[in-house]
Amino acid sequence: MSVTLAIAVGLLMGVVFGFALEKSRVFEPGIIVGQMQLRNFIMLKVFLTAVATGAVVLAVLNGFGYVKLSPKAALYGADIVGGLILGVGIALAGACPGTTLAQIGAGYRDALFTLVGGLFGAVAYSYAEPALSKTFLGQGGGKLIFSNLAGIPYWAGALILAAAIVLILIALESWKPWRPELGNDVDGDIAPATSPQKLTVVPAE
Amino acid sequence: MLMQKAWSPYLAGIVIGLLQIPAFLIIETALGASSSYVTIGGLIASWFDPALLKVGYVARHVAITGKNWWQVALVAGIAVGAFISMQMSGARRRAVSPIWQRALGTASPATRYAVAFFGGFLMLFGARIADGCTSGHGISGMAQLAVGSTVAVAAMFVGGIATATLVLRRI
Repeated sequence: MSVTLAIAVGLLMGVVFGFALEKSRVFEPGIIVGQMQLRNFIMLKVFLTAVATGAVVLAVLNGFGYVKLSPKAALYGADIVGGLILGVGIALAGACPGTTLAQIGAGYRDALFTLVGGLFGAVAYSYAEPALSKTFLGQGGGKLIFSNLAGIPYWAGALILAAAIVLILIALESWKPWRPELGNDVDGDIAPATSPQKLTVVPAE
Repeated sequence: MLMQKAWSPYLAGIVIGLLQIPAFLIIETALGASSSYVTIGGLIASWFDPALLKVGYVARHVAITGKNWWQVALVAGIAVGAFISMQMSGARRRAVSPIWQRALGTASPATRYAVAFFGGFLMLFGARIADGCTSGHGISGMAQLAVGSTVAVAAMFVGGIATATLVLRRI
Protein backbone atom coordinates (compact mmCIF):
# COMPACT_ATOMS: atom_id res chain seq x y z
CA MET A 1 0.00 0.00 0.00
CA SER A 2 1.20 3.50 -0.74
CA VAL A 3 2.52 5.68 2.05
CA THR A 4 -0.01 8.38 1.14
CA LEU A 5 -2.92 6.00 1.60
CA ALA A 6 -1.45 4.76 4.90
CA ILE A 7 -1.26 8.36 6.11
CA ALA A 8 -4.87 9.03 5.07
CA VAL A 9 -6.04 5.88 6.89
CA GLY A 10 -3.97 6.88 9.93
CA LEU A 11 -5.44 10.37 10.06
CA LEU A 12 -8.98 9.05 9.81
CA MET A 13 -8.37 6.42 12.50
CA GLY A 14 -6.64 9.01 14.67
CA VAL A 15 -9.63 11.35 14.49
CA VAL A 16 -11.89 8.54 15.72
CA PHE A 17 -9.34 7.58 18.40
CA GLY A 18 -9.03 11.20 19.58
CA PHE A 19 -12.79 11.62 19.59
CA ALA A 20 -13.24 8.53 21.77
CA LEU A 21 -10.42 9.58 24.11
CA GLU A 22 -11.97 13.05 24.54
CA LYS A 23 -15.50 11.73 25.09
CA SER A 24 -14.36 9.14 27.64
CA ARG A 25 -12.36 11.86 29.51
CA VAL A 26 -9.58 9.28 29.92
CA PHE A 27 -7.10 11.85 28.57
CA GLU A 28 -7.75 14.15 31.56
CA PRO A 29 -4.80 14.51 33.97
CA GLY A 30 -7.40 14.29 36.76
CA ILE A 31 -8.49 10.86 35.51
CA ILE A 32 -4.97 9.51 34.87
CA VAL A 33 -3.41 10.78 38.11
CA GLY A 34 -6.64 9.79 39.90
CA GLN A 35 -6.25 6.25 38.54
CA MET A 36 -2.64 6.07 39.69
CA GLN A 37 -3.74 7.27 43.14
CA LEU A 38 -6.43 4.55 43.03
CA ARG A 39 -9.25 7.01 43.57
CA ASN A 40 -10.69 7.10 40.02
CA PHE A 41 -11.16 4.04 37.83
CA ILE A 42 -12.33 5.49 34.50
CA MET A 43 -8.88 4.89 32.96
CA LEU A 44 -8.92 1.20 33.89
CA LYS A 45 -12.48 0.87 32.55
CA VAL A 46 -11.67 2.40 29.15
CA PHE A 47 -8.41 0.46 28.95
CA LEU A 48 -9.86 -2.95 29.84
CA THR A 49 -12.87 -2.42 27.56
CA ALA A 50 -10.54 -1.60 24.66
CA VAL A 51 -8.45 -4.72 25.43
CA ALA A 52 -11.55 -6.96 25.59
CA THR A 53 -12.98 -5.50 22.38
CA GLY A 54 -9.64 -5.90 20.62
CA ALA A 55 -9.40 -9.49 21.86
CA VAL A 56 -12.85 -10.37 20.46
CA VAL A 57 -12.06 -8.62 17.16
CA LEU A 58 -8.74 -10.46 16.82
CA ALA A 59 -10.25 -13.79 17.91
CA VAL A 60 -12.57 -13.50 14.89
CA LEU A 61 -10.08 -12.03 12.40
CA ASN A 62 -7.29 -14.42 13.37
CA GLY A 63 -9.55 -17.41 14.04
CA PHE A 64 -10.93 -17.24 10.50
CA GLY A 65 -7.48 -16.63 9.07
CA TYR A 66 -7.90 -13.04 7.87
CA VAL A 67 -4.98 -11.59 9.81
CA LYS A 68 -1.71 -12.65 11.40
CA LEU A 69 -0.98 -11.60 14.97
CA SER A 70 1.99 -9.33 15.64
CA PRO A 71 2.78 -9.64 19.35
CA LYS A 72 5.93 -7.93 20.59
CA ALA A 73 8.83 -10.09 21.71
CA ALA A 74 8.98 -10.84 25.44
CA LEU A 75 12.11 -9.01 26.67
CA TYR A 76 11.49 -9.17 30.41
CA GLY A 77 14.34 -6.88 31.47
CA ALA A 78 13.29 -4.21 28.98
CA ASP A 79 9.60 -4.71 29.72
CA ILE A 80 10.10 -4.25 33.47
CA VAL A 81 12.69 -1.42 33.43
CA GLY A 82 11.05 0.41 30.54
CA GLY A 83 7.56 -0.12 31.95
CA LEU A 84 8.58 1.28 35.35
CA ILE A 85 10.17 4.41 33.83
CA LEU A 86 7.17 4.85 31.53
CA GLY A 87 4.86 4.58 34.55
CA VAL A 88 6.80 7.27 36.44
CA GLY A 89 6.51 9.48 33.35
CA ILE A 90 2.76 8.82 33.00
CA ALA A 91 2.16 9.95 36.61
CA LEU A 92 4.27 13.12 36.27
CA ALA A 93 2.91 13.99 32.82
CA GLY A 94 -0.65 13.02 33.74
CA ALA A 95 -0.75 11.52 30.25
CA CYS A 96 0.42 8.63 28.07
CA PRO A 97 2.16 9.02 24.70
CA GLY A 98 -1.19 8.89 22.86
CA THR A 99 -3.34 10.92 25.26
CA THR A 100 -0.75 13.72 25.25
CA LEU A 101 -2.01 14.58 21.76
CA ALA A 102 -5.64 14.45 22.94
CA GLN A 103 -4.72 16.92 25.71
CA ILE A 104 -3.18 19.25 23.13
CA GLY A 105 -6.30 19.00 20.95
CA ALA A 106 -8.57 19.68 23.92
CA GLY A 107 -6.57 22.78 24.85
CA TYR A 108 -4.19 21.84 27.69
CA ARG A 109 -1.09 23.98 27.24
CA ASP A 110 1.17 21.94 29.53
CA ALA A 111 0.70 18.99 27.15
CA LEU A 112 2.86 20.84 24.62
CA PHE A 113 5.73 20.55 27.12
CA THR A 114 4.92 16.85 27.60
CA LEU A 115 5.10 16.40 23.82
CA VAL A 116 8.44 18.18 23.47
CA GLY A 117 9.80 16.29 26.49
CA GLY A 118 8.63 13.08 24.83
CA LEU A 119 10.43 13.91 21.59
CA PHE A 120 13.62 14.60 23.57
CA GLY A 121 13.14 11.31 25.43
CA ALA A 122 12.75 9.40 22.17
CA VAL A 123 15.87 11.06 20.72
CA ALA A 124 17.85 10.40 23.92
CA TYR A 125 16.87 6.74 23.69
CA SER A 126 17.86 6.70 20.01
CA TYR A 127 21.40 7.82 20.94
CA ALA A 128 21.54 5.25 23.75
CA GLU A 129 19.98 2.37 21.80
CA PRO A 130 23.16 0.85 20.32
CA ALA A 131 24.71 0.65 23.81
CA LEU A 132 21.51 -0.35 25.67
CA SER A 133 20.68 -3.18 23.27
CA LYS A 134 23.98 -4.84 24.24
CA THR A 135 22.97 -4.91 27.93
CA PHE A 136 20.40 -7.09 29.68
CA LEU A 137 17.75 -4.80 28.16
CA GLY A 138 18.33 -6.48 24.80
CA GLN A 139 18.04 -10.01 26.18
CA GLY A 140 15.14 -12.35 25.47
CA GLY A 141 13.10 -12.28 22.36
CA GLY A 142 10.47 -15.00 22.00
CA LYS A 143 7.06 -13.81 20.82
CA LEU A 144 5.38 -15.66 23.66
CA ILE A 145 1.60 -15.60 23.95
CA PHE A 146 -0.39 -17.04 26.86
CA SER A 147 -2.62 -19.26 24.70
CA ASN A 148 0.43 -21.08 23.31
CA LEU A 149 1.70 -21.63 26.86
CA ALA A 150 -1.69 -23.06 27.80
CA GLY A 151 -1.83 -25.19 24.65
CA ILE A 152 -5.11 -23.72 23.36
CA PRO A 153 -5.86 -21.85 20.11
CA TYR A 154 -5.41 -18.06 20.22
CA TRP A 155 -9.09 -17.39 19.54
CA ALA A 156 -10.11 -19.46 22.56
CA GLY A 157 -7.63 -17.69 24.82
CA ALA A 158 -8.72 -14.27 23.54
CA LEU A 159 -12.39 -15.05 24.20
CA ILE A 160 -11.56 -16.29 27.71
CA LEU A 161 -9.65 -13.05 28.38
CA ALA A 162 -12.57 -10.96 27.08
CA ALA A 163 -15.05 -12.87 29.25
CA ALA A 164 -12.82 -12.46 32.32
CA ILE A 165 -12.53 -8.72 31.66
CA VAL A 166 -16.32 -8.38 31.36
CA LEU A 167 -16.72 -9.99 34.79
CA ILE A 168 -14.04 -7.71 36.27
CA LEU A 169 -15.73 -4.64 34.76
CA ILE A 170 -19.15 -5.62 36.10
CA ALA A 171 -17.65 -5.90 39.59
CA LEU A 172 -15.67 -2.67 39.18
CA GLU A 173 -18.73 -0.75 37.97
CA SER A 174 -20.89 -1.90 40.87
CA TRP A 175 -18.10 -0.89 43.30
CA LYS A 176 -17.19 2.43 41.62
CA PRO A 177 -19.85 3.74 39.17
CA TRP A 178 -18.32 5.89 36.42
CA ARG A 179 -20.59 8.94 36.44
CA PRO A 180 -19.53 10.42 39.80
CA GLU A 181 -15.88 9.93 38.80
CA LEU A 182 -16.21 12.42 35.92
CA GLY A 183 -16.13 15.37 38.33
CA ASN A 184 -17.95 18.68 38.09
CA ASP A 185 -16.21 19.89 34.94
CA VAL A 186 -15.73 16.41 33.38
CA ASP A 187 -12.02 16.65 34.23
CA GLY A 188 -11.84 13.99 36.92
CA ASP A 189 -11.54 16.71 39.56
CA ILE A 190 -13.79 15.27 42.25
CA ALA A 191 -12.53 17.40 45.13
CA PRO A 192 -15.35 19.33 46.82
CA ALA A 193 -15.73 22.93 45.64
CA THR A 194 -14.75 24.13 49.12
CA SER A 195 -11.40 22.36 48.98
CA PRO A 196 -9.25 25.51 49.50
CA GLN A 197 -10.27 25.43 53.18
CA LYS A 198 -9.10 21.86 53.44
CA LEU A 199 -5.83 22.75 51.80
CA THR A 200 -5.05 25.35 54.44
CA VAL A 201 -5.67 23.08 57.42
CA VAL A 202 -1.92 22.57 57.66
CA PRO A 203 -0.31 26.03 57.59
CA ALA A 204 2.08 26.05 54.66
CA GLU A 205 5.56 27.54 54.79
CA MET B 1 -24.52 12.11 21.20
CA LEU B 2 -21.56 13.74 19.46
CA MET B 3 -22.43 16.93 21.37
CA GLN B 4 -22.16 15.26 24.79
CA LYS B 5 -19.30 16.15 27.09
CA ALA B 6 -18.77 12.60 28.26
CA TRP B 7 -19.50 9.10 27.10
CA SER B 8 -19.60 5.92 29.12
CA PRO B 9 -16.04 4.56 29.42
CA TYR B 10 -17.38 1.29 28.03
CA LEU B 11 -18.70 2.86 24.83
CA ALA B 12 -15.42 4.75 24.29
CA GLY B 13 -13.39 1.61 25.04
CA ILE B 14 -15.38 -0.37 22.46
CA VAL B 15 -14.78 2.32 19.81
CA ILE B 16 -11.03 2.26 20.54
CA GLY B 17 -10.91 -1.55 20.49
CA LEU B 18 -12.74 -1.64 17.13
CA LEU B 19 -9.91 0.44 15.64
CA GLN B 20 -7.87 -2.78 15.66
CA ILE B 21 -9.97 -3.90 12.64
CA PRO B 22 -8.59 -1.30 10.18
CA ALA B 23 -5.16 -1.44 11.86
CA PHE B 24 -4.78 -5.20 11.28
CA LEU B 25 -6.72 -5.46 7.98
CA ILE B 26 -5.40 -2.38 6.18
CA ILE B 27 -2.05 -1.53 7.77
CA GLU B 28 -1.22 -5.06 9.00
CA THR B 29 -0.12 -3.79 12.38
CA ALA B 30 -1.57 -3.14 15.82
CA LEU B 31 -2.56 0.18 17.41
CA GLY B 32 0.40 1.98 18.93
CA ALA B 33 1.61 5.51 19.61
CA SER B 34 5.14 5.74 20.99
CA SER B 35 7.18 4.75 17.89
CA SER B 36 5.91 7.90 16.19
CA TYR B 37 7.95 9.96 18.67
CA VAL B 38 11.11 8.30 17.32
CA THR B 39 10.01 8.97 13.74
CA ILE B 40 9.41 12.69 14.37
CA GLY B 41 12.09 13.23 17.04
CA GLY B 42 14.69 11.27 15.07
CA LEU B 43 13.88 13.16 11.87
CA ILE B 44 14.18 16.58 13.53
CA ALA B 45 17.36 15.59 15.42
CA SER B 46 18.93 14.31 12.18
CA TRP B 47 18.70 17.82 10.68
CA PHE B 48 21.15 18.93 13.38
CA ASP B 49 23.13 15.68 13.57
CA PRO B 50 22.95 13.69 10.30
CA ALA B 51 25.14 10.98 11.89
CA LEU B 52 22.10 9.95 13.97
CA LEU B 53 20.69 8.26 10.86
CA LYS B 54 23.60 5.78 11.03
CA VAL B 55 21.91 4.28 14.10
CA GLY B 56 19.88 1.43 12.58
CA TYR B 57 17.09 1.94 15.10
CA VAL B 58 16.60 5.56 13.98
CA ALA B 59 16.95 4.76 10.27
CA ARG B 60 14.24 2.09 10.59
CA HIS B 61 11.86 4.53 12.31
CA VAL B 62 12.28 7.55 10.01
CA ALA B 63 12.14 5.50 6.79
CA ILE B 64 9.28 6.49 4.48
CA THR B 65 7.18 3.40 5.07
CA GLY B 66 3.44 3.03 5.44
CA LYS B 67 3.67 1.71 9.00
CA ASN B 68 5.96 4.50 10.28
CA TRP B 69 3.97 7.35 8.82
CA TRP B 70 0.60 5.72 9.44
CA GLN B 71 1.38 5.93 13.13
CA VAL B 72 2.53 9.57 12.90
CA ALA B 73 -0.75 10.36 11.13
CA LEU B 74 -2.71 8.38 13.74
CA VAL B 75 -1.18 10.36 16.60
CA ALA B 76 -1.70 13.68 14.78
CA GLY B 77 -5.29 12.63 14.10
CA ILE B 78 -5.81 12.07 17.86
CA ALA B 79 -5.22 15.79 18.44
CA VAL B 80 -7.61 16.68 15.62
CA GLY B 81 -10.31 14.30 16.87
CA ALA B 82 -10.05 15.55 20.44
CA PHE B 83 -10.22 19.15 19.20
CA ILE B 84 -13.36 18.47 17.13
CA SER B 85 -15.01 16.60 20.00
CA MET B 86 -14.20 19.42 22.44
CA GLN B 87 -15.58 22.04 20.03
CA MET B 88 -18.80 20.07 19.53
CA SER B 89 -19.46 19.58 23.24
CA GLY B 90 -18.09 22.90 24.44
CA ALA B 91 -15.97 21.18 27.12
CA ARG B 92 -13.24 23.81 26.94
CA ARG B 93 -10.15 23.33 29.08
CA ARG B 94 -8.04 25.80 31.00
CA ALA B 95 -4.33 26.04 30.17
CA VAL B 96 -3.54 23.68 33.05
CA SER B 97 -5.88 21.20 34.74
CA PRO B 98 -6.95 22.38 38.23
CA ILE B 99 -5.72 19.09 39.71
CA TRP B 100 -2.08 20.09 39.28
CA GLN B 101 -2.24 22.82 41.90
CA ARG B 102 -3.04 20.14 44.47
CA ALA B 103 -0.85 17.39 42.99
CA LEU B 104 2.24 19.63 42.81
CA GLY B 105 1.47 21.86 45.79
CA THR B 106 1.92 25.03 43.73
CA ALA B 107 -0.14 27.02 41.24
CA SER B 108 3.00 28.04 39.31
CA PRO B 109 2.55 27.28 35.59
CA ALA B 110 6.36 27.22 35.17
CA THR B 111 6.65 24.38 37.69
CA ARG B 112 3.90 22.47 35.94
CA TYR B 113 5.50 22.98 32.52
CA ALA B 114 8.86 21.73 33.84
CA VAL B 115 7.26 18.66 35.42
CA ALA B 116 5.33 17.99 32.20
CA PHE B 117 8.54 18.16 30.14
CA PHE B 118 10.36 15.84 32.55
CA GLY B 119 7.37 13.48 32.66
CA GLY B 120 7.19 13.42 28.87
CA PHE B 121 10.91 12.67 28.65
CA LEU B 122 10.67 9.71 31.05
CA MET B 123 7.49 8.49 29.38
CA LEU B 124 9.11 8.12 25.97
CA PHE B 125 12.52 7.01 27.23
CA GLY B 126 10.76 4.24 29.17
CA ALA B 127 8.36 3.40 26.35
CA ARG B 128 11.23 3.00 23.91
CA ILE B 129 13.16 0.73 26.30
CA ALA B 130 10.01 -1.36 26.73
CA ASP B 131 9.26 -1.13 22.98
CA GLY B 132 5.72 0.06 23.57
CA CYS B 133 3.34 2.17 25.63
CA THR B 134 -0.20 2.05 26.95
CA SER B 135 -1.43 1.53 23.38
CA GLY B 136 1.14 -0.86 21.89
CA HIS B 137 1.77 -3.00 24.97
CA GLY B 138 -1.48 -2.21 26.74
CA ILE B 139 -4.41 -2.18 24.35
CA SER B 140 -2.77 -4.19 21.54
CA GLY B 141 -0.31 -6.44 23.39
CA MET B 142 -2.75 -7.63 26.02
CA ALA B 143 -5.48 -8.25 23.41
CA GLN B 144 -2.95 -10.49 21.62
CA LEU B 145 -2.24 -12.28 24.92
CA ALA B 146 1.43 -11.30 24.69
CA VAL B 147 3.35 -12.33 27.82
CA GLY B 148 5.96 -9.54 27.55
CA SER B 149 3.29 -6.87 27.06
CA THR B 150 1.43 -8.03 30.16
CA VAL B 151 4.66 -7.76 32.17
CA ALA B 152 5.26 -4.26 30.74
CA VAL B 153 1.73 -3.09 31.61
CA ALA B 154 2.10 -4.38 35.18
CA ALA B 155 5.40 -2.48 35.48
CA MET B 156 3.75 0.70 34.11
CA PHE B 157 1.08 0.59 36.78
CA VAL B 158 3.64 -0.14 39.51
CA GLY B 159 5.77 2.85 38.43
CA GLY B 160 2.71 5.07 37.99
CA ILE B 161 1.05 4.16 41.28
CA ALA B 162 4.31 4.52 43.24
CA THR B 163 5.00 7.96 41.74
CA ALA B 164 1.43 9.25 42.05
CA THR B 165 1.19 8.22 45.70
CA LEU B 166 4.76 8.92 46.90
CA VAL B 167 5.82 11.93 44.80
CA LEU B 168 2.57 13.69 43.90
CA ARG B 169 0.16 14.97 46.52
CA ARG B 170 -3.39 13.71 46.90
CA ILE B 171 -5.58 15.27 44.20
